[in-house]
Amino acid sequence: MKPKNTKYSIIVLLEETHEDFPQFIRNLHDVFSTRRVPFEILIMANGTGGFLKHQLTELQGFNHRLKAFEFDRKTTQAVCLKAGLKESSGEIIVVCGSYQQITNDSLTLLLESYNEKPDIISPWRQHRVDPWFNRFQSEVFNILVRKITKSDFHDLSCTVKVFRREVLEETEIYGNMYRFLPIVAARKGFKTKEIKCSHYQERGKTGFYSLSEYITRLIDIFTLYFNTRFTRKPLRFFSGIGLGFLLVGLFVMSYIFVQRFLMGHPVGNRPILFLAIFFMALGVQAASIGLLGEIIVFTHGRQKKEYTIEREI
Amino acid sequence: MYLSIVVPLYNEEDTVKKLLSGLLEVAGKFDFSYEIIFVDDGSTDKTWKIIERLKKTTSHLRGIKLRRNYGQTNAMVTGFDYANGEVIVTMDGDLQNDPFAIPILLDKINQGYDIVSGWRKNRKDHFFRVFLSRIANAIISLTTGVRLHDYGCSLKAYRAECIRSVKAYGEMHRFFPALASMTGARVTEVPVTHHPRTYGVSKYGYGRVLKVLNDILAMNLIIRFSSNPFKGFVLCALPFLLLALFFGFLAALAVVYQWTAGKALFFMISSALNGMAVVHLVVLGVLGELVVSTSDLVHTQLPEITKKTISVNEEKEKNQKTEQDSPAPSPHPRSQKMVFTTKRVGKVKT
Repeated sequence: MKPKNTKYSIIVLLEETHEDFPQFIRNLHDVFSTRRVPFEILIMANGTGGFLKHQLTELQGFNHRLKAFEFDRKTTQAVCLKAGLKESSGEIIVVCGSYQQITNDSLTLLLESYNEKPDIISPWRQHRVDPWFNRFQSEVFNILVRKITKSDFHDLSCTVKVFRREVLEETEIYGNMYRFLPIVAARKGFKTKEIKCSHYQERGKTGFYSLSEYITRLIDIFTLYFNTRFTRKPLRFFSGIGLGFLLVGLFVMSYIFVQRFLMGHPVGNRPILFLAIFFMALGVQAASIGLLGEIIVFTHGRQKKEYTIEREI
Repeated sequence: MYLSIVVPLYNEEDTVKKLLSGLLEVAGKFDFSYEIIFVDDGSTDKTWKIIERLKKTTSHLRGIKLRRNYGQTNAMVTGFDYANGEVIVTMDGDLQNDPFAIPILLDKINQGYDIVSGWRKNRKDHFFRVFLSRIANAIISLTTGVRLHDYGCSLKAYRAECIRSVKAYGEMHRFFPALASMTGARVTEVPVTHHPRTYGVSKYGYGRVLKVLNDILAMNLIIRFSSNPFKGFVLCALPFLLLALFFGFLAALAVVYQWTAGKALFFMISSALNGMAVVHLVVLGVLGELVVSTSDLVHTQLPEITKKTISVNEEKEKNQKTEQDSPAPSPHPRSQKMVFTTKRVGKVKT
């Protein structure tokens, strides 16, 4: 039986190997030690080979507060997080990346603002220290996400987040959707808060990412867009597309009609009529997939509750 | 009998208190136990605080607070899930529904009906809103076959198991009677008084016409074809099949009578595109069958029961026309109903 009184569980998602990793953990330990409440640090090594085992020798001394886990093969952040959650017992979960992203003061600030009872605290890194191109990319990404999902997070790229335990238990994520977790949770009605923090260092990749990275990110955003708005009413999404195609088809059709009957141009030997019919057929296809979606939702979504209760009296 | 009154509330701080006193006044005359469930649908004003305060003095009141604004359907479904009553009455929180209509609805329930819908015969809203809603009601009535004048009225009474088995989501609340009729529920309506809006503003705009049309299409599909989607998709494919044949015929004519070369090609490709749509729809229908057969939803389609249900309704209506105090229909044997929870056991032979 785990002791129930642990307050903080710090889950470190270790994905990159850095020399000063023990220093980072020691620093985390110091920050939380000053708060004088029980805490634990869980290191989830994700496909880093023997790195963690090697580093652990340097981390002797706070064994009772340190748990280390290693995935043999590289898995997704979502799996690491779920595994970490299962092993942890704290009522507040602090998630960190492989290196220190925000300053100690900022981390303390995040923990302090938990007293105002939000469910998720997300940092917003100010005075960023990474190259301008990185900042630019990150900015574009965040604006895109903000606009598409109608949320108001300014810095989702930062791994550091503070969650109330319930949030992680009740919110389901998969793959590498961890960065969108605050949005998914906010959709479930959890209260979110953004705190301005100062950026400590950036160890991630700089410059251009690989093309597949950009594509993956775009696909993730689209998935999020669909999931947050249309999972329970797929027809609205698909009929929107279908209607769009149908209207284009009808527009071209009316153009042909005018040409044929008012201006007397022959139609039969030109491809434009195919275009019109083709668009209309596409419209029908898109809309009919929406109908199938409705059937799937009705027959398979019956066990899932859409709402979440905050209080009952 | 045990009655649950479910009221979804969204930013109704002005009306909550008045609403409760109205409800309690009506409930004072009840000779059965009841509960009032206020579901706070993520209000941003003081609604929940007022509910908490009222709870202290009213033992019959229960309050449920949703984490965020989930919309009317989900607020109602929350109420259904948490209600203890055998009969559930839903109503709006904006005082436009009259609590004094509740006993009238309950009378109908006692007569053996499963769902009683309120009908705002003299609606006190803007004429254009009423006009749009009339059209929507007419379409829903015609397409689903459950004829009601006022689907949009929130004041409705349900036998709890009938509405719970629907497991609604999205924005289905407008279609509850039609959806529940899938389970063999017997639906009727009674005129209720409607008050003009005195507090707050309407939470609906006109921008939802397209959404409602989408919903009507989706609900029809679910009501008519969710047990047999293949049929639905094949019906959708029929017009395209006709077009494909028509164009194919023209193409044949063009070849035989040697019209200009372009025409034959054009007709052939048109025919092929329509043929593609047919294939696409049929394939989707097959996929739909697969989806339905792997779900845990039971759709033992029992046509004879549905028929019987309709005939009871018609008899009832005939009786009402001929004599005012007609005997109530005997309660519908619950065991014959289409149940939604057990495993699909295959089609019942008729």
